[in-house]
Amino acid sequence: MLKNLGIAMLLLWPQIIFANTINVTLHYIGPTDGQVWAGIQQGLTEANLQGQFLGQTYDVKNITEEEVEALPASEITAVLVGTDAKHMLEIAKLNKLTTVPVFNLSSDADSLRQVCLPNLLNIPLSKQMKQDALAQWQNKNPDKLVTAHAWHHDFVKFAASQLNNRFTRNHKTQMTDDAWAGWAAIKMLSDTVARTQKTDSATMLNYLKKDLSFDGQKGDTATFRDTGQLRQIVLLIDKDDNIVAEAPLRGVKGGLDSLGLISCK
Amino acid sequence: MKLKSILLTTLVLASTAAWAEPSHRAFVTNEKDNTVSVIDTKTNEVINTINIGERPRGIGLSPDQKQLYVAISEEGAIAVVNLDTLEVVKKLDAGDDPETFDVAPNGNIYISNEDDAQASVIDPKTGETIEVIPVGLEPEGVAVSPDGSLVLVTSESTNMVHVIDTAKHKVVKNILVAARPRGLAFNSDGSLAYSSSEVGNEVTIIDTKTLSIIKQAEIDLPNSKPMDIAVSPDDKTIYVTTGRGNSVAVLDAKTLEMQANIPVGKRVWGLGMTRDGSRLYTADGVSGTVSVVDTATNKNIKTINVGKFPWGVVVDD
Repeated sequence: MLKNLGIAMLLLWPQIIFANTINVTLHYIGPTDGQVWAGIQQGLTEANLQGQFLGQTYDVKNITEEEVEALPASEITAVLVGTDAKHMLEIAKLNKLTTVPVFNLSSDADSLRQVCLPNLLNIPLSKQMKQDALAQWQNKNPDKLVTAHAWHHDFVKFAASQLNNRFTRNHKTQMTDDAWAGWAAIKMLSDTVARTQKTDSATMLNYLKKDLSFDGQKGDTATFRDTGQLRQIVLLIDKDDNIVAEAPLRGVKGGLDSLGLISCK
Repeated sequence: MKLKSILLTTLVLASTAAWAEPSHRAFVTNEKDNTVSVIDTKTNEVINTINIGERPRGIGLSPDQKQLYVAISEEGAIAVVNLDTLEVVKKLDAGDDPETFDVAPNGNIYISNEDDAQASVIDPKTGETIEVIPVGLEPEGVAVSPDGSLVLVTSESTNMVHVIDTAKHKVVKNILVAARPRGLAFNSDGSLAYSSSEVGNEVTIIDTKTLSIIKQAEIDLPNSKPMDIAVSPDDKTIYVTTGRGNSVAVLDAKTLEMQANIPVGKRVWGLGMTRDGSRLYTADGVSGTVSVVDTATNKNIKTINVGKFPWGVVVDD
């Protein structure tokens, strides 16, 4: 007990030296069971660990669509959404959220990218990105069927194994695409707060779309297209659950922009 | 009090100045076959291979250059090798998943524990852990200042350089740098420190008096993922391995402008330099080689086959 207290003090001490700690509350609409929520929790743990050293705290409030409408705009930094595409679009189009980053954490609907809303940030792979990745694979390997994913529990490279280990240790389950989306949204928001020292939604949205250089622990720095889609590699998984390749496949022109809708024009 | 610190400083300076005669060897950890390759730096041939332990990564020498230390990550230990016999004489408990370390002038070893978000300090004489210091996620690079007063640790997944005061063994400052910070190095008098950011593709210069960033610059090379750093003895040049950029970038130590880019093997990480700064030895992970670079001509002069996935290099020459 005493030892635990000692360890807790040790972990908390860096926070004590910050006179002006920034407390950040994020809002989430969606189910609070399952992988998206577990990913959000993992992201929060990591954001708060970083915040201990730099003077920020983070929490996520689960609310409904109606409650978002009732919130004062000044209390909203970002809204995370884990619903279906239809509700997601409704939320992103709310007048009060025009300059608020709204994160799609769960839908692969191409329509959410084609609509090109300036405030909607899509973390998951779109259907089109998956199809393009599969087409690249099948060009070279017509007889071997694979599926396209944003994440895999056996992914090792680019420090993916460290993230998989942390997630499994904390959540007693393997990290999936949905969990990675939840984790990534929180981490890019905490990175933005740490670097800008601001929490207002317009600053967040501007930084996320223009200045973000995000380490998603899956390779190159991740950035957003003007469609609001996160550029990222796609993992190709065979029927035995093995990672067989990463798209863009070697030699394909366009790099990450060979996958999915590139721009709004 | 003051006298004591002056005495200490003198002692430290005396000890760092007292280089032993070099044995003209370079030592390379081979992450995937659990060995250390020993290279004769006069002939640039492998002259020995040491069975070291599971997943060797970080590598360094004791201040008297008589012992070689190797972080064997899967065994949670630092292997100690007698450099006369090349035998592993003991394994020091180093906490969970030790990745890299640096050795202070007083002999203490500062270690990053990758999976535990902490740095540990061990005394190799007693084998005891003196202190465990919480840092950010995935701590990686470690560098002790030349006078031993400061230790820097990078945390890869929380994008910080943590500054630890060795007198108190406490973090005194956290400096946010570009994404996925990895390598660290001090200049010769310790007034400046350099850090590399793998995903951000940047190098940062930190003023160690004010503990603030004085310059940040991107490395203008395709596929560059900056890793290990070495500073030339005259402090004018820094050398940075570029990972999947498969090269060593040569940068002006003040302006960070690129002066040359030297192709080496694939996925180059570890970097060692001779005392006079005339040659560099790089660990080319995917190629399974060590490249030797002549810094007078900035040319890769030799490629040496070593073990599987060479990771770190230390040079005793």
